Amino acid sequence: MTGRRLRFSGLFQKYFLVLYLAVVIPLATNGVSEAWFSYRDQRATLDQLLAVEARSAAVKIQGFLEGITNQLGGLVQLSWTEEPDEQRRIDALRLMRQVPAIVSLTLVDGAGRERLYVSRIGLNRTESRANRTENEAVAGARSTRLWYGPVRYYRDSEPYLTVAMSGNRASVGVVVAEVNLKLIWDVISAIKVGRTGTAFLLDGPGRLIAHPDISLVLRGADEATLAPFRALRDLIGQAGTDVVTGTDGQGKAIAAAAAPVPGPDWTIVVEQPLSEAFGPIYAALWRTGGLLLAGAAFAGLLAYVLASRMTDPIRRLEEGTERIGAGHFEHRIHIGTGDELQRLADSFNIMAAELAVSQERQERIAKLKRFLAPQVAELVDRKGDDSVLEGRRTEVVVVFCDLRGFTAFSAKATPDEVMNVLSEYYDALGQIITRNAATLTSFSGDGLMLLLNAPVPIDDPALRAVDMAADMQRSVQDLIVGWSGRGHRIGFGIGLAMGPATVGRIGYESRFDYTAIGSVVNLAARLCASAADGEILADVAVAEAVTDKRAIASLGLRSIKGYDEKMPVYGVPFAQPPACPEPVAGSPDAATRPMPRDAIG
Amino acid sequence: MAVRSRDPMIVRGLARTDTGPMRRRDFISGLGAATLARPVRAQPLAIPLIGYLGPESPEPFASRLKAFREGLGETGYSESRNVAIEYRWAQGQYKLLPALAADLAARKPAVIVAAGGAPAALAAKSATGTITIVFEMGGDPVALGVVDSLSRPGGNLTGVSSLSVEVSRKRLEFMRELLPDETVFAVAVNPTSPTADSQLKNLHAAADALGVRLHVLSTSDEIEFEGLFSAVAGLDAGGLVFTSDPYFAFRSQRLAALATRYRVPAITQSRDFPNAGGLMSYGGDFTQSHRRTGIYAGRILNGEKPADLPVQLVTKVELFVNLKAAGALGIAVPPTLLSSADVVIE
Repeated sequence: MTGRRLRFSGLFQKYFLVLYLAVVIPLATNGVSEAWFSYRDQRATLDQLLAVEARSAAVKIQGFLEGITNQLGGLVQLSWTEEPDEQRRIDALRLMRQVPAIVSLTLVDGAGRERLYVSRIGLNRTESRANRTENEAVAGARSTRLWYGPVRYYRDSEPYLTVAMSGNRASVGVVVAEVNLKLIWDVISAIKVGRTGTAFLLDGPGRLIAHPDISLVLRGADEATLAPFRALRDLIGQAGTDVVTGTDGQGKAIAAAAAPVPGPDWTIVVEQPLSEAFGPIYAALWRTGGLLLAGAAFAGLLAYVLASRMTDPIRRLEEGTERIGAGHFEHRIHIGTGDELQRLADSFNIMAAELAVSQERQERIAKLKRFLAPQVAELVDRKGDDSVLEGRRTEVVVVFCDLRGFTAFSAKATPDEVMNVLSEYYDALGQIITRNAATLTSFSGDGLMLLLNAPVPIDDPALRAVDMAADMQRSVQDLIVGWSGRGHRIGFGIGLAMGPATVGRIGYESRFDYTAIGSVVNLAARLCASAADGEILADVAVAEAVTDKRAIASLGLRSIKGYDEKMPVYGVPFAQPPACPEPVAGSPDAATRPMPRDAIG
Repeated sequence: MAVRSRDPMIVRGLARTDTGPMRRRDFISGLGAATLARPVRAQPLAIPLIGYLGPESPEPFASRLKAFREGLGETGYSESRNVAIEYRWAQGQYKLLPALAADLAARKPAVIVAAGGAPAALAAKSATGTITIVFEMGGDPVALGVVDSLSRPGGNLTGVSSLSVEVSRKRLEFMRELLPDETVFAVAVNPTSPTADSQLKNLHAAADALGVRLHVLSTSDEIEFEGLFSAVAGLDAGGLVFTSDPYFAFRSQRLAALATRYRVPAITQSRDFPNAGGLMSYGGDFTQSHRRTGIYAGRILNGEKPADLPVQLVTKVELFVNLKAAGALGIAVPPTLLSSADVVIE
């Protein structure tokens, strides 16, 4: 049982594994390669995106500065006169109101004299005419038109920038603006990279100018605060790529890109938490992974179902053959796969049916052989029906035989000896009966009843019966010699008669016998009973049937038990082997010898 | 009558004043039912407590409190949800501030907010050296000795400073601009203010630069306000310049009424003054400063250290001009002033 299970599961495993791998390997290959390419694409997109964000942020910062310089340009268009310029003062004050980031404005005329100073905090000055030619902002603007000073930290906290601008000719002078860079906060905090990404602004030396968390900016030139920002900027500078990954001040992993802000030589850096930046990548990877898992699970299910479907008929075949092998020929294997397996199952079913028929025949033959000669039994079987065994009236020869003195012998002898004698007796007779195709209808103890010409008709039944009787007598007489040597006094007599009788099967269920019913049977029995040891008695019908062929001796009329009138009885001679020292029935006349009349009947 | 009770009232405002300024009656009944404060203390520790120290009463603070709560909300805190606030109001009695601050400190709040001027900040500083204090003032916290530096406040304090104190000289300048023919101006100063001396020094320097003379009028109590304005008229001063001081700022309505009545051109630090009918104001935007105070308080609640939060200076200094008041006074506002004005009330 275990072995069978193992074989079964082995086949299932093989099918399952093959089917599963056939689906999963291409699926996994496809999924992994797709994930890889998608990762590369997404990564490239992300890099581009961050670089674009950085440039866009730089443009915004530039916009902030341009908003200031454009306004400043309006103040350096007209030439100064020696008179106080009231209109320019109004313009300057309005500009201050419009640009909140400007803390103070200084207007210098073409000769480098301060003509106007307006401030939000300090007192305004008009026409102070102080010489500002040495002022680096004024000098810078005169040489480069637009001049950005270095970032300063007011009271070590607020970042300030000096912007100076000159007009297109020297006489319009220079305007110098102090800009509070804290107001870039509005710009920088509005820059959103993705959902949580931010931007920060560094000046040339790497000091923080703007950050969404204003408190970081207000710490001024604090090395500990600035270090991570500088590190990130330097990392981008060294990497040579658009985007780098690193960590921010809090040690959080980020992706960052930088873009220069032309003019004041600043750098804007945009950063996005890696978790968010790579969010779509991770999502895609998770999705791919999930689909792979689902696909693998589905493939497993599919492989299981298919493997089951493939092995199930095989298993049923296996079971079916086992059952058929165990003798259940009525078992049928039901496989409806419509393929070779079904054909195989059908073959098995046909085989089983044939085996059943064969077994049935075997059983029938075995049964027939009990009372029919083997060849008769075969014949009956070959003909396929046992209608020959059905009751009918026919001409038969009935042969009875039994031992003389057997009752006395069996009373005295040991059971072993009795069985030995019977065994030798039946062995000898059995061969003769079989050879002569006689039908053994019954035997009991030492007596036998044989039929000839029924159920299978034979040629010249009487002659066969006479010859058979002679054979039997000869064989048994040989045995009797041996038995005498062992001290047993046993004889053997045969009676035969021919005539019509009703033949057929009698009995119930599996206990059927074939027998003949009629007076001829009685006559044969009576003749046997009256036959002495070594005597074969036949009735007139037998005698007449073989009269030309065998030497039948008429024994005259004898009174037969059960018959009112005396009947003619004939003796059948048989040749006694000459070796026999003390013939019990060597010649027909030996039959006249007195014998104990204890035979059947 | 705007004169308030002088009783040293300790008022415990219980959270929600979203519906508007609390009425005084409510505070008195609130005071009677002292047990009302208990549920706040009984709150589970999970809800942080803010101690709020105000030098005045809640009514003039309403706009400031609104800005403060907005700032707090920006950092994720709301009184109705996840933070409790205990208020202590000095009702204009600034000398009570130290006791109120000590009372607040005894409650062991997560953070003390000392808003509305240097006195509150100084009182809070002397009350505790451990509890974080977020201040809001008009003066220079370094000059006042509240913090060591703006960028690295050090200790347990940080906060927001509007530029109101620093720009008091600009008020004189604007007054002079408005009335170029006047050479004498009166200056109102609160002698109890810790910034009084520095402001006066600044103002005198400015007066020298502008070529005008100053009459300094001291007052530290609103019952003297009326006398202040009548004195200006008597002095033949062209106008009255108020120094930056919360005591004045929170009494803008009263000052505006008196300025109108006595026909005195005046300028104060708070926009409340021209809004109430006064002539001009120049000072830091208090909604910005109180809002940032709220943000800092929230960041402290979120676990940040005061030393990491630099003192913020309010960026916006605003000039308000009330043309109606100018017209009533018979003053023509010059275009330079109008160009500078952030808001012109017509």
